[in-house]
Amino acid sequence: MSGRVVIDFARAEGALVRMIGLVERRGFRVRGIVMAEEAEKASLTLDVQPLDPRRSLDVLALQLGRLHEVRQVSVSGTLS
Amino acid sequence: MSPAAAHAAPAAEPKTGARLVVEALECEGVRHIFGYPGGAIMPVYDALPGSKLEHILVRHEQAAALSADAYGRVTGQPGVCIATSGPGATNLITGIANAFLDSVPMVAITGQVASPLIGTDAFQEVDIFGITLPIVKHSYIVRSTADIPRIFAEAFHIARSGRPGPVLIDLPKDVVMLAAAPAPFEPFVEEECPIDEGGIERANALIAEARAPVLYFGGGIAIARAERALRDFSERTGMPSVATLKGLGGVPTDTPSFLGMLGMHGMRAANVAIDNCDLLICVGARFDDRATGKLDTFAPRAKVIHIDRDPAEIGKLRRAEVGMCGDLSQILDRLTALPEAEPWKEQCAAQKALWAMSYDAPGSGIYAPALLKQLSEEAGDNAIFTCDVGQHQMWVAQHCRFTRPQAHLTSAGLGTMGYGVPAGVGALLAEPEATVITVSGDGSIMMNIHELATIRRYRLPLKILLLDNSQLGMVRQWQELFFNENFSEIDLADNPDFAEVARAFGIEAFTIDHRSQVSAAIERLLKTDGPILCHVRIDPRENVWPLVPPNSSNVQMMEKSR
Repeated sequence: MSGRVVIDFARAEGALVRMIGLVERRGFRVRGIVMAEEAEKASLTLDVQPLDPRRSLDVLALQLGRLHEVRQVSVSGTLS
Repeated sequence: MSPAAAHAAPAAEPKTGARLVVEALECEGVRHIFGYPGGAIMPVYDALPGSKLEHILVRHEQAAALSADAYGRVTGQPGVCIATSGPGATNLITGIANAFLDSVPMVAITGQVASPLIGTDAFQEVDIFGITLPIVKHSYIVRSTADIPRIFAEAFHIARSGRPGPVLIDLPKDVVMLAAAPAPFEPFVEEECPIDEGGIERANALIAEARAPVLYFGGGIAIARAERALRDFSERTGMPSVATLKGLGGVPTDTPSFLGMLGMHGMRAANVAIDNCDLLICVGARFDDRATGKLDTFAPRAKVIHIDRDPAEIGKLRRAEVGMCGDLSQILDRLTALPEAEPWKEQCAAQKALWAMSYDAPGSGIYAPALLKQLSEEAGDNAIFTCDVGQHQMWVAQHCRFTRPQAHLTSAGLGTMGYGVPAGVGALLAEPEATVITVSGDGSIMMNIHELATIRRYRLPLKILLLDNSQLGMVRQWQELFFNENFSEIDLADNPDFAEVARAFGIEAFTIDHRSQVSAAIERLLKTDGPILCHVRIDPRENVWPLVPPNSSNVQMMEKSR
């Protein structure tokens, strides 16, 4: 049971560590990372797996959305 | 003109980064900053004299952050703390985390080694940006002097907007020593959060059909300054209400329909109401484990309306039938449906009367709950209580009266022993006309005892009530109840004479240990103009009741034998 999180964000110092750190601290294992950037914008795709099945990918997306650099978060996968 | 717009005005002449820092703080309307100087931050301190900023020199950087935290809670504007690199910065961490866990607006400024030295293990170099990533709302390392005005304006905007929190600005020494013309920037404007009309309609429908509703509110009320709307809603519906630790004072605690704090050390009537309600309206609270107990037994029969400024809180721990994110006052004002719940209200009122606190403790020793009740009644609505962490913190929450949430400053999320005295400093500077009372314990006060020097230096009329049971009382209580009385490392019988300690700092102090001394002590505490410490010896065997045992439902409360 894994999910995918796609994060569009503004490039800024610490942004990557902030996002990946948040995902891990909120109870998800990061199993894959792909990043792309263009000018000031960037996109990060994370394949994640919850450490506890009660952890919600939708809530994680909202928590990522609170970060200042994050512009948009979309999630897909079998998790709710 | 907004502070941010003021920043946006083009500046013609280059200025040093340190000067830009000071001007940026002045532009934000900052009056007080709490800090401690040191090597890397010295250029900023060099620019302070002659500015509009009043710097409060604390005796440990943790106190700077905790004072700024309390200042932010009272004013609603970011409290500002400042420290040098390395240990100065790391000493701020507990205070920053405290603000993060309780959603308090704060801007923390740290010095950093010069840019060419970053990453070389230089003297007093530490990656404070990296260390604090999990406990800040946002953070910056300033790389260009010209960016200082923009970064400060943005930092203040982020700290106070939406769900507030701490923002860290790390300032390399060369960046504040160099001169530059500020780069222009656009003002920062908080995004509007439109009301969910469908949610309002569904929520009103749920309220109209409810027969046993409960209003459950938390610290979000104080953050949003939504007391007026909450009280209107409470009066309009007459529905029973309960508060989290941080929510206390959202409605006056003597409101007849208010059942008290819920949760681990909450009132039984509050927990019973939650257990039996058919509709739970959660406003500015987050289903925290201290409030809910065993989550899957919390409000088991209730539909939930969850209203919060932070969308990430809605549905995080409890599914809501209706979740609405936005301005709490605007949403509450739109909830105009009225429940038909008279029998339920009477039932809750009866439970409240049945389980009311009793103050007729046997013996002649000082019963802390009774003392606190009497103190808060005599201190009046102008009082602000700041608490440390432990048994006394729960006694304050249970037995003091509050008519506004800013009157109760407590470290709820992080549970920081040592919060009380620095918070008292921050509260007094934020609201000098208030009667500020710090309630501390003999364990907690030693965590920041040095701040008595700050109180003395600035002649702050802080009233400290120190409840001394010569133990780490809350730990002892848990060891007694849940660890088979295996008492481990809780004995503080070798405490110093706290009255003598206070006097050594130049603070008036006295000790009481008998119930007959309480009234005179309260009178002295409240009538003394300057700082004063009342050291109270209490029974070390006294516990905080009631109590929900760990991993239990909130209705499985342990009570003091009555």
